[in-house]
Amino acid sequence: MQPGPEDEVVVETAVFRIEGLTRRYGDLLALDNATLEAGANEYISFLGPSGSGKTTLLRVIAGFETPDAGRVIFQGRDVTNVPAHERGIGFVFQNFALFPHLTVMKNVAFGLTHGKSGLSAADIDRRCREMIDMVGLSGMEDRGVDQISGGQRQRVALARTLTLRPRLVLLDEPLGALDANLRGRMRNELRAIRERLGVTFLHVTGSESEALAMGDRVVVLDRGRLIQTGTPAEVYDHPASPDVAHFLNRFNMFDGKLSGGSFTGAFGTAPAPVATRSPRDVYAVRYDRMRVLPLSARTDRPTLKARYIASEYLGSSIMSFFDAEGHVVEVEHHLSLGAPETYETRQEYLLSWNPEKAIVFGREVQ
Amino acid sequence: MESRILKPVLALYVALFLLFLYGPFVVLTILSFQQGPEGGPQFPIIEWSTYWYRQLFGLTPPSRIAPLPFGDALIRSLVLALMTMVVSTVLGVMSAQAFRRRFRGASLVFYLIVLGMMVPGVLTGLGTSLLANNIIGIERHWYTTAFATHVAYTYPFAFLVMLAILNRFDDSVEEASWSLGVDPWTTFRKVTFPLIFPGVLSAMLFAFTLSLDEFPRTLFASGRDQTLPLAIYGTFAVEIHPNIFAFGVLTTLFSFALLSVYGILMALSVRRARRLAMQEDIA
Amino acid sequence: MPEPAPALKRQSMTTRLLLAPGILWMALFLVLPILMIVYVSFWTQTTFNISPTPTLASWKAFFGSDTYTGALWTTLRLWLIILASTFIVGYPTALFVGLLVKSKTVSTVLLVICVIPFWTSFLIRVLAWRPMLGKEGAINIVLMKLHIISQPIEVLLFTELSVVIGMTQIYCVFMVGPIAFMLARIDRNIIEAARDLGAGFGRIFWKIIFPLSLPGVVVGAIFVSVMVLGEFATSAALSGRKVNLLGNIIVTQVGSLKWAMASVVGVILTVVMGIVIAGFLRIVDLKREL
Repeated sequence: MQPGPEDEVVVETAVFRIEGLTRRYGDLLALDNATLEAGANEYISFLGPSGSGKTTLLRVIAGFETPDAGRVIFQGRDVTNVPAHERGIGFVFQNFALFPHLTVMKNVAFGLTHGKSGLSAADIDRRCREMIDMVGLSGMEDRGVDQISGGQRQRVALARTLTLRPRLVLLDEPLGALDANLRGRMRNELRAIRERLGVTFLHVTGSESEALAMGDRVVVLDRGRLIQTGTPAEVYDHPASPDVAHFLNRFNMFDGKLSGGSFTGAFGTAPAPVATRSPRDVYAVRYDRMRVLPLSARTDRPTLKARYIASEYLGSSIMSFFDAEGHVVEVEHHLSLGAPETYETRQEYLLSWNPEKAIVFGREVQ
Repeated sequence: MESRILKPVLALYVALFLLFLYGPFVVLTILSFQQGPEGGPQFPIIEWSTYWYRQLFGLTPPSRIAPLPFGDALIRSLVLALMTMVVSTVLGVMSAQAFRRRFRGASLVFYLIVLGMMVPGVLTGLGTSLLANNIIGIERHWYTTAFATHVAYTYPFAFLVMLAILNRFDDSVEEASWSLGVDPWTTFRKVTFPLIFPGVLSAMLFAFTLSLDEFPRTLFASGRDQTLPLAIYGTFAVEIHPNIFAFGVLTTLFSFALLSVYGILMALSVRRARRLAMQEDIA
Repeated sequence: MPEPAPALKRQSMTTRLLLAPGILWMALFLVLPILMIVYVSFWTQTTFNISPTPTLASWKAFFGSDTYTGALWTTLRLWLIILASTFIVGYPTALFVGLLVKSKTVSTVLLVICVIPFWTSFLIRVLAWRPMLGKEGAINIVLMKLHIISQPIEVLLFTELSVVIGMTQIYCVFMVGPIAFMLARIDRNIIEAARDLGAGFGRIFWKIIFPLSLPGVVVGAIFVSVMVLGEFATSAALSGRKVNLLGNIIVTQVGSLKWAMASVVGVILTVVMGIVIAGFLRIVDLKREL
């Protein structure tokens, strides 16, 4: 879950670039002047709430929809007006969109057989069997796609796209339809496949943990705009706006007032030497930066009195919920840091944090 | 409470309704087994016989009552229905396909097509024959003018069937095919068409049966050679014999055979869909 | 407006190509023929021929003749009667099939049973009423056997009544289908909720069920109207030529090569039709109900 130390991403050549993409549906602005560049062999996650325009972005890149303005450049060529089937960009759908009337083998071979591959039947067969083997579906070639499980269908969808060896693959919430267990396994497989084949992946997801775990880079979208781009660590540690912090779903957020280098909120006043400009004054503390102290403890850090409600085990960490006068505050304790303390229900505690690690947004910042 | 009274009362009503619906056909079937050639098209049954069925196939000695002159008419009607079926289904699929995208004037085009099933046959028939006679100056035939009116009548039905099917069609399979580098036409042939085939079958069935039984348009627009409904209409004017009843029974049986073939084909595709749904539950 | 993108141009090109054959066919073989009828209604009729010299003679002849105007009134009267009779016969059946039958299979089977008679030729279905309604017909025989009547009823066949009976049977299914379809779409929970609130069936029917089934009634009425207004075969076969509808006039006029008069009647039929359908479409949006 925790974004690990990322290797330096080497952007050799921009495989792909979008410039000022805009798409309207009537009055609704689904994409607003989106600009982005991706290198070869890069994995970019798009994170945003539903309706943020992330699926529209993928569909415009794939050529299923035409932008009202802007350009899509792929491998040095302007493909904005090239029909989808001539772009050579792979697409994996959320619902997999397998051909229900064909077998696994025929699904995988579809693009090579009916497209312009120019391969002989024997070559197609060999390449498809290799791919089916790679995604671990050997022996299922002749099954109908209605005779395999959800995870297997997902692999067929991937294999079908990858046999064509595209340089760019778009994934539209491909893990959304799978259960949590399967999702974790597929995540690892996706990463392995990408390392083997050197494909650039653009992965749209509504899950912040998926976005942070999968991407070399994370792009956060809101209301059609790309509001932050960066490595998972950058985004995680320095969300560019209260909205980003909110989507990441990793921050306790307090409203209040930033003034003269300190922030006044429900917890009193805390020093805020560094702050980011924002139309709203917000004080954000990451769940795992919160400490729980007994009510009697003395500290010079900011504190917030809160009543303990309940805890939830999340495997590698434990999440505790506190009630601070109607405001739910979450505290994450990583089990790697030692055994969790036990708290008494309905008992009051002090929640405290290092103010230097807090992220502050305010109108006052120039 | 009310359903305890209402339901049986309505059930009885429906039974009477079905009696009303089927009564004439039952009587017609009974009378088709009237004794021949003297027995008339009314009760009482003088003696049960299959005389009139045999007469249809020319298996009876010649008598005062001439056999129905239906042979050629039947063939013409079948050919016409086949032609109509193919053309109106193709047109219906094409237009319904176009309606998957928004376009300006969609409403107007929709009503123009649906108009074909709204305008009474007498009018289309009359207008087409006026046009053929007085403006274009061609002779009317069942395979030209009548064919044109048949398609103008059955194409809206095929269109509506396909529209309903394509409304429920999942666009992403087509997009998947494009993203695999397959052009739209091949995508249509290899993905869309196989998946909408049950709908196409229904559209074909609609067009075929409507054309086979079409009467008012054909009456005006077909010229000299008669189709089957025209031949039947011809017998109205003269005296009726039970042979027309026997013929009615046989054509109904033929329809049933057709319906069964269609039913079997549909059941097969439904079973496939159900198996798919079941697998989904397991997965 | 900026120049549309090539992709959009391509799409609208495809749309146009897909629509062109159908639009062309309907324009040539549906719209043009109807315009032709309007045009020819102003032509001059000679004994066996027509010429394009414009005249109002046929129109004057139509409105000057009791036979022709009478046919218009008969058509309208019979249309209203059939509309009412198919509704009365069809609605309870639809109510049972669409709403009261709980099992989906049973309701489908019932609907299929209703449609099966359509697999017999239309003309033969019409003809089948003759041995039913005649003086020695099945109905009279059954009624006399049951001692309900002592003398056969003679007004059953070759009267307006026989046309009404025949058309009702032939067209009532077009009422049943759409109404049953709309009824089947009603959310049963609404009815249950109303029942829990203590509403009786009568109240539930008039406040919930009937209003929700109304689009079905209108669609059914459109079907029935379209077919009845253009009818001539049933009236010819079952009334012994006593009932003359506009359709019958057209057929006889064409039979005697009076194309101009046939066209006048055709125009009048078109106008009646247009008013009726436009009226119904004001109540319900056909495209939305599909």
